[in-house]
Amino acid sequence: MTRPPFAVLKLSLILVLAALLLAGIGVMWSRQQALGAQAARLQQQAALNAARQQLDRSRQQQRLIDTHLAEYQTLAGRGFVGAEDRLAWIEAVQLANREVGLAGLEYRLTPRAATDPTLAQGLPLGQTAMVLTMPLLVETDLPRFLAALKARAPGIFRVHGCRLSRLGSASFEAVNQPRLQAECELLWFTVTPATGSVQ
Amino acid sequence: MMFDHRLILLATPRQIGVLDWRPGRMHWLGEFAATEAGLAAFRAVVARHAQLPVLLVADTVDEDYRSEILPHVQGHARNELLARKLKQVFRNARFTGAWRQTRETTGRRDDRYLLAALTDADWLTPWLSVLHRERIPLCGITPLALACQHLLARLRPQEPHTLLAYRLDSRLRLSYYHDGLLRFSRLIGSDTPTQLPGNAADEIAKTQLYLTGQRILPREARLQVLLLDPSGQLDSAQAQLNADPAFSTRLVDMQSLGRALRIPDNFLAATPAIAPLAAIAGEPVQLNLAPPELLQRHTEFRWRRGLHAIAGTIALVGLGITAAYWLHAQDLNDQTRQMAQQQQQLDARYQAIARTFPVQAATPEQLAQTVSLSRHLAGQPNVTALLVAVSQALDASPGIVLENFVWADDTLKPTGNVTITLDAALIPFDGNYRAAMQRIEHFMQTLRTVPSLHDVRLRTSPVNADSSSTLTGKTLSGNSSADPVARFSIELGYREATP
Repeated sequence: MTRPPFAVLKLSLILVLAALLLAGIGVMWSRQQALGAQAARLQQQAALNAARQQLDRSRQQQRLIDTHLAEYQTLAGRGFVGAEDRLAWIEAVQLANREVGLAGLEYRLTPRAATDPTLAQGLPLGQTAMVLTMPLLVETDLPRFLAALKARAPGIFRVHGCRLSRLGSASFEAVNQPRLQAECELLWFTVTPATGSVQ
Repeated sequence: MMFDHRLILLATPRQIGVLDWRPGRMHWLGEFAATEAGLAAFRAVVARHAQLPVLLVADTVDEDYRSEILPHVQGHARNELLARKLKQVFRNARFTGAWRQTRETTGRRDDRYLLAALTDADWLTPWLSVLHRERIPLCGITPLALACQHLLARLRPQEPHTLLAYRLDSRLRLSYYHDGLLRFSRLIGSDTPTQLPGNAADEIAKTQLYLTGQRILPREARLQVLLLDPSGQLDSAQAQLNADPAFSTRLVDMQSLGRALRIPDNFLAATPAIAPLAAIAGEPVQLNLAPPELLQRHTEFRWRRGLHAIAGTIALVGLGITAAYWLHAQDLNDQTRQMAQQQQQLDARYQAIARTFPVQAATPEQLAQTVSLSRHLAGQPNVTALLVAVSQALDASPGIVLENFVWADDTLKPTGNVTITLDAALIPFDGNYRAAMQRIEHFMQTLRTVPSLHDVRLRTSPVNADSSSTLTGKTLSGNSSADPVARFSIELGYREATP
């Protein structure tokens, strides 16, 4: 069995080549099938993960809604959520003034401005400054007024600062005349979300 | 195992027998006389098995054996050496062969060869012509004595020097084996009166003398004689041989032979000639007497069979890999389908949850943020508490009149806090600034004692005694009508006390 007799082995060699060819085709085809299936599986895995995350997120959202919706709707009803209602603020100030029995007051509202982004935390939070000037009989009229205003406030406000000063330099007399003047700056906050729906 | 399927021919000058053999299975195809009819029948049989390799076992009187010790060479040199030696020993014999049996353990460590030849093989030509015409792959021609060597190995002889007396078709073959390897063989034809037990014993004794004389068998060696005769005619020779101390005789019955060869007794009894053929069938041909040109078909056959095996292996491996990949792909597809079903279930659950969401302008996260922010914004220091804290200090410091009270709330900023500014005056003030400063300092100390007040510092004092600034003023007489004023300003921080 030295030198192969190629002349009589043509058919056998063709058979070997055919086997090689068929085996190669089979292996390549099946490998392609496996690669395709692998890619499809990875894609499906990604879709499944996305669906899982979406479901988890929806559950979290559901919990958030269950926890906060009522309070949110209350805030919306009070005017914290939505467009600012300046007339309601003025009415509230007047009513508080009347309730406390003060002589009267002056108010001034500045244009609405965006709040500090650190405070807003991405929410469309705006603030409107209201400067109130009012005479007081005694110092305690101021906290009483602020408490009355807070009780009926159509929204959320904070007292940014106040100045109490004496009117004139006359000495104290027991008369029913205001001797003090208060000047306070109140900040009314409103959130105005874009229209849309929860997803 | 299918590769071991072959035909074994037992050729004698009178006839040829054909055994279809494969491992664990054999079939006797018949015997054919050396006549025209026999040749035609033989041709028909081999034509039906043309795809099988054929081993021809020759059983003839015209054979010769020679043991030779030759130098140990390999490769082409060995082939040339053996060709020269065969030519020298057997001259013009066509069917010759050499078998390297063993290597000497001493001296030059030469090789020990058994040279063999069919000295007259004209009777073989018609059978070989049939094989050639039918393109049968002849794998070799070997003497029956070599087939008997494999038969002897199955019988497991106890002595190193063994003489096998094998009677077949009225002819007696005496073969000598040393350590199981063929050293000499002779066939005593049917014209010799071996039917008599005494003659067979005589032939065995003469053979022993010949072997001793030729120094093939050592003089002192005890020769074990195995008597194998399907017809049982050698049985009586056993007693005569056992009388001679140079022999130890053992009679091999057909049952023992059948067990050793794993051949059914009835099959062996019907065709006793198959015994040596069955013994050599699965073994490699160690002593091949066929000239190379007769083996050409078998060479082609082996190449073809090798290539077919390669093709089959490639196809099987390819099929295996293909199947493995395909099964893997199916497994992945199953996993993908399962994940798709899981995704559909998750989507359905998500849709069910999403349907319960109210229509709002804000997302749920914004909703929660808005509520949280509203709580943060609503939390502011109590103004009354702030006023009370400062009032405590003022009440404890008579003579200090508050003129302006300012507070600013920067607590919405991360570092912001509530700061208070007090603008006040000392009343009464007699112009003694040193005493005034002491009273202011006392007031500041009082402020510091209030828990919710901190970082108390003087912003402006009634008089600026700093060396770097201009200081102007006037002193007052004791009866002056104008009231002197000592105004100052204090700044402090406010931190709502935690309950």
